[in-house]
This record gives sequence, C-alpha cells and structure tokens, in this order.
Amino acid sequence: MAAALTLDGVSKRYGEFQAVKDLSFEVEKGTICGFLGPNGAGKTSTIRMILGLQGVSAGRIVILGADDGRKVRDRIGFLPEERGLYKKMTPVDAIAFFGSLKGLPIGEGRRRAREMLDAQGLGASKRKKMKELSKGMAQKVQLIAAVVHRPEFVILDEPFSGLDPVNQQGLEAVIRGLAADGATVLFSTHVMQHAERLCDKVVLLARGQKAFEGTVTEARATSKRFLELEGAIEAAEAAALPGVTGVEVVSEIDGVRVLKAALGQGGKGQEALRAAFLGGLDVRRFELREPSLHDAFIGLTGDNPDVDQSTKAAEAAR
Amino acid sequence: MNRTLLIARREYGAYARTVGFWLSLLAFPLFAVLGGAVPLMIRSSEPVRAVAIVEEGPQASGLAAAVRDSLRNDAERRDARARETAEKAAASTGAPAGPGVAEGAMAGLSRPKMRLVATPTDISTLPAGPEQDAAVRRHLTDETPKEQRLDAVVFLNRADGKPTARVWTARATDDTVEDFIREALNSANRKAVFESAGIDPGVVDQTEAFRADVSVFSPKSASGGEVSFRDKLPAIIGLASGFLLWSLIITGASILLNSVMEEKSNKILEVLLSSASATEILTGKVLGVALLTLTVLAAWGGIGAAALFWFAPEQGGMVGDILLSGGMLAWFGAFMLGGYLMYAVLFAAIGAFCETPRDAQTLMGPIMMILVIPMITMQMALQTPDAPVVRIMSWIPFFTPFLMIARMPSDPPLIEVIGAMAGMFAFALLMVWIAGRAFRAGALSDVKLSWKAFAGAVRGGR
Repeated sequence: MAAALTLDGVSKRYGEFQAVKDLSFEVEKGTICGFLGPNGAGKTSTIRMILGLQGVSAGRIVILGADDGRKVRDRIGFLPEERGLYKKMTPVDAIAFFGSLKGLPIGEGRRRAREMLDAQGLGASKRKKMKELSKGMAQKVQLIAAVVHRPEFVILDEPFSGLDPVNQQGLEAVIRGLAADGATVLFSTHVMQHAERLCDKVVLLARGQKAFEGTVTEARATSKRFLELEGAIEAAEAAALPGVTGVEVVSEIDGVRVLKAALGQGGKGQEALRAAFLGGLDVRRFELREPSLHDAFIGLTGDNPDVDQSTKAAEAAR
Repeated sequence: MNRTLLIARREYGAYARTVGFWLSLLAFPLFAVLGGAVPLMIRSSEPVRAVAIVEEGPQASGLAAAVRDSLRNDAERRDARARETAEKAAASTGAPAGPGVAEGAMAGLSRPKMRLVATPTDISTLPAGPEQDAAVRRHLTDETPKEQRLDAVVFLNRADGKPTARVWTARATDDTVEDFIREALNSANRKAVFESAGIDPGVVDQTEAFRADVSVFSPKSASGGEVSFRDKLPAIIGLASGFLLWSLIITGASILLNSVMEEKSNKILEVLLSSASATEILTGKVLGVALLTLTVLAAWGGIGAAALFWFAPEQGGMVGDILLSGGMLAWFGAFMLGGYLMYAVLFAAIGAFCETPRDAQTLMGPIMMILVIPMITMQMALQTPDAPVVRIMSWIPFFTPFLMIARMPSDPPLIEVIGAMAGMFAFALLMVWIAGRAFRAGALSDVKLSWKAFAGAVRGGR
C-alpha cells in the first residue's frame, strides 16, 4: 500500500531544546494511524512540521507526494489541539468560511455544513452563534470545519480532549467514517484506549523519539501478559509462582495487597493459579490480563503516557 | 476568490455587520460636533443677569451712570465686532454681506451678559446695615418670586475719592458682574483723573471708546496683499488632515491588533495557518481592516462635508477647493497608505503574540508614547511649518505621514516631500517583512510577549 505520509529522520530544535529527534515512520493511504505519547513528547511539533507550519531542523517529510505540507494544504484537514472558532459566527458560516479557504465554494460549503450539522445532531444549533454552543457542540463544529472539504488526509491533534464519553464515542465513529470514505487519518492522543479501538497502526513517541511503530497487536506483543492477584500475599510468595518473572505491588490496604505478576515467555496462568492454591496462598481474586497499549507504552518507554513531559525549560526554549 | 480576499472579506464583515462599529463610527463626528457646539451653546444660552445698582450716599453720585455708560459702550462694541466678522467672512467668500448663518451666530454670541433693573424699594429705602443685607439676601434666593428675583445687587460708593463696590451675587462662583463692575469703575476712575487733570471729557470719552483697526498683509496671501480667512484655511486643513490621518491609522491598526488577539486567544490562528500562508492571512487582515478604515473615512468625510455645506456653504466651497487643488487628496491618500501599512502590520504582529490587551501592553505602551509626539509637533507645524524640529521629525518614518500632511499646505520643498515619502514606504516595506516573520512565529508561540521574544521571532526562521 502506498504511503500517504513519510517522515524520514525528522528532527526539530527550539534553541537548545530538542523537541523531536530523528523521527521516521510512514502512514499508508486510507488507514488510521495513532500518534501516541504523553503531553510534551513532541506530537504537536511533529504535526506542525507535517503541515508545514514549522520547518524541520533536519530530515524530510513527504505528504500526499509533496515535500512541503503547505503545497497540499487544500487536500489536508486539520483539527488543532487547542480549538476555537469565531465566536460571533454561526456554525454554518464558520464551516463554510474554513471550507472556502480550502477551495470549497461558499455555497457548497454552506450546503455541506447544514448536512453535516444535521448528521451530528446539531441541526437545531445552525443559526446560533458559536459562543452560544456548548464546548462539546463547538468541538463537533470545528471537526466538521476541518473535514468539510473532504480532505484526503486528516490530521487531528488530541481530538478527544475535553469531550465527554458520549461525544468521544461519536468522534470515534466519525474517524472510522472518514477512513471508510478513503481518507487517511493521523490523530494524536495520550489516551491509549482510543488508539486501541481505532488504529490500524500506532506510532509511540517518548521524549521526542520514536519508541515503537506497528499495529496495536504488535505493540501489545512487546509487553508481557500478567496476573493480577489480590489477597494477603507477600510479593516474594507471588514471585515464587511458576512462570512469574517479576512482581509489582499495586496497592495495599490492611495487609491485603493487589499484586501485578508478569508472566515470562511460555508462562501459563493456570499453572500459577494451581501452585498458589497448593501453596496455601490467600488468593481472594485472580485475573489473567493481556497487556494493554498503555502497558505496552510503559514497557517500551518506561514513561507513563498520562504524565506531562513538557518542561518549563522546553517552553522557554520555544 | 483567493484566500487573501476571503480573509479580507471576513475581516471586513466581522466588524461592518455589527451595530457597535457603526455606533463607534458615528461617535467621533458626534463628539467633534458636541465638542465645538457645546461651548457655543453654553455661551449663547448664558442667562442675561438681572442686576440692581445702589449708590450708597451722595459721595457715590455718578457711579451708577458710569456703569450704565459702560454697559452701553460694551453693547456697541459687541455689535460692531459682530458686523465686522460677518463682513470679513463675506469678503473672503466673495458672497454679498447680509444676514447669514455666521452673522446670526455672532449676534447670538454677542448677547449682553447683564442688564440693569430698577432697584427694589425694600433695598433702596433701607439704610445700609443688617436689615438691608437681609432684604438683598431675599431677592437673591429662591424665596422671592421669580419676577422679583435678582442675580446681583451692586452697592457703589467712594472711599478716599476712589470708586468702590460691594457686589452681592446669587452665585458665589459667578464673577461676571464683579468683573464688569470693576472694569466700569476703573474706567470711571480714569475718566475722573483725566478730567481733574484738565482734559476735555469729550476727548476722554473718545479715547476710552477707541479700538485700533489692525489688518494683516502677506505676500503669500491669495490676493498678494491682505490676509483673509481663505489664506489661513489651508494650514487649518493641513492640521485637521494630520489629526484625521492619525485617528484613522490608529483606529485601523487597533482594530487589527484586537482582531489578531481575538484569533490568537480563541485558537483560530493555527487553523487559519493550516489553510493559508502567514503572508496571505496578514495581507487579508490588513486589507480587510484597510477597507474598514476607508469606510470610516468615507463616513466621517461624508458627515463632515454634509455638515459643512449645510451650515457654512461658502466655507465648504473653500475647503473643497483646497482639497481638490494642489493634489492634497492624493498626498493624503499616499501618506495614509504608507502610515497605515507601517502601523497595521506592526500592531498585527504584536497581536499574534498576545491573548489579552494586558499582554500587549509591554510593547504598546512605548509605541503609544511615541505616537503622542506627532500630535504635539503637528500643532507646532500649524504656525511654523518650516521650523527645524518639524522638518527633521518629518523625516522619521513613524512620524512622516502625520507631519508631512500637516505641512503640505505650506508648500514644503518637493524634495523633502518625495524624500520623506520614499523613506516612509521603504520603512513600511521593512516593517512588512519584520512583522510577517514575527506574525508567523507569534501565531504558533506560547511565550509571553516581550521585546526579546519579538526580536527572537524576527531573527528566527520557520
């Protein structure tokens, strides 16, 4: 499958601060790619370089066959991390205006805007001003504004942030719909669950560097399966179970611990459970867990994706 | 339609469709009219004060008559001044002298400030003392019926042969009667001194009534001789043009600053940058606000012209002649273009770094202080357009548009005009380049605005 986006050895420096270092990956046409990493990992800088809003310090980016995102900006849809629209405009006018900047005739933009607003359940808000809409509604309007011109490549920077669970689900459906219509979607997030549900491929970024590139299944496979045990069990007792290669105490209340026991290659949960009962351990809960993308991320990078990696120094350097 | 025009159209529409814009647009001429009309209205609606005069005993004899004479002379002088002004205006415009608007206005302004009324008997019949004072108080307060109420009661006397007066006034802060009485008594005293020195009273009266007739001539006047209002008008128009240009440019640039700040704070700039280049956005916004500024100019100009031709058609014709001859309008357009470009792009670049007006204060404070300088210098240019300081400051690009347009009616050397204008446009282009870089960097930056950050953005690339 042909690549819609290629990054080859891309780096970005802001003075002394290295935001992105030697980043290379590809996104195939018509796929959904998750660009994952904690806040401050370099996702927004990378997206801005892809769009051509910022130049690269080193390396090369090719998007939709062009070596500069600005040359193909009409074929790209972009939803930035921090969102906003003209407060005094109506949703239809705002969508049509941003569509017109991408080459969509104003009249056609209005027609599509009305259709898409109806489809998103915002038909009743078409004539309201943006400032009268709720945050969730405004975010939907902005997403529509980003894709009203039917772009071939859609870049969404933290699209789920600030949305309630219902709207997050709705947005997932929109992203799937875009891909089903043939668009390539790259979205950044630090919430791994969205990526797990949506992505054909994920790129993990930590401290400006790529930590992983592949499918969600491949990412999970890099991490060990584990047992979750709860009871009055010592960590050493759990570590002695067959197949267990390491134990982490997750919590402890009144001598009752929740333990996370990693299973080594070929380790079997049933054998560990049998040994626990035979050994007389006080097992009150036992669960065999497949690693999540979150676990994989921590395993691959040693970082928690929920922890902000941006620093004051980095901000100052920018 | 290309992106620049789309952005310009949105920018124009965003303001032009609001009621607030049209209200604020009308506010300037309204306040200008009020600023000029209110003092006139106050003067023309000033009450004619009712004043009673009492001579306190035989030693004060003749002082009341002196006050009455002084009041009559004052009325004659005012009438003469009103006639003279109307005649000069008629001579300047070439229109026949007659009862016109200007003469009517002058007549209105020359109303007497006070009139003498018969002294109430309860004051005149009482001897000086607490009872008389009580009677005076009654007539000066609201206790007395309106038709019997007085604004002032003046007791005239002589002490050591010199005229004196006690003035009771209804309003402690109103010194009109006090000033008039003092002047009248001074005049009476001068007359008495001259007469006691043996000078004929008729001669003294003539001397007191004399007012010198001074005419001004200049080889630069239109007639080559006597200076008329028409000769002074170009300088006034130059100064007004300078102020108008200053107001328009600062209004336009401030609209742009607020517009960019709003887009920055609402996180719209980044979306715009993904759809159009920084140059297209900046150009579109500058163009849109330029159209707004022209709308403001057209509205102000239209209102001003209509008011001028309605209330003073002769003067309106003169203003029209001056604006249309000598390329004044063309110069105005050129200086407006250069000045607007310089300030608009600078303000837009500053706005790209700011989310609130407080953020902008770091850079706007010094800029606004600098902008006060041409306001002061322009007033100097009205009387001495060729003063070295005015000429030198005309060459500073930031001041060129305002000072040069203010100097244009005095026909400065063409080399100065062309040179300063070339410098202004060269500097404007430099500003466009600097502001373009700063705008692009500022639009995506989270750093707080400072001179260092601004300079860094200009130096840095994409």
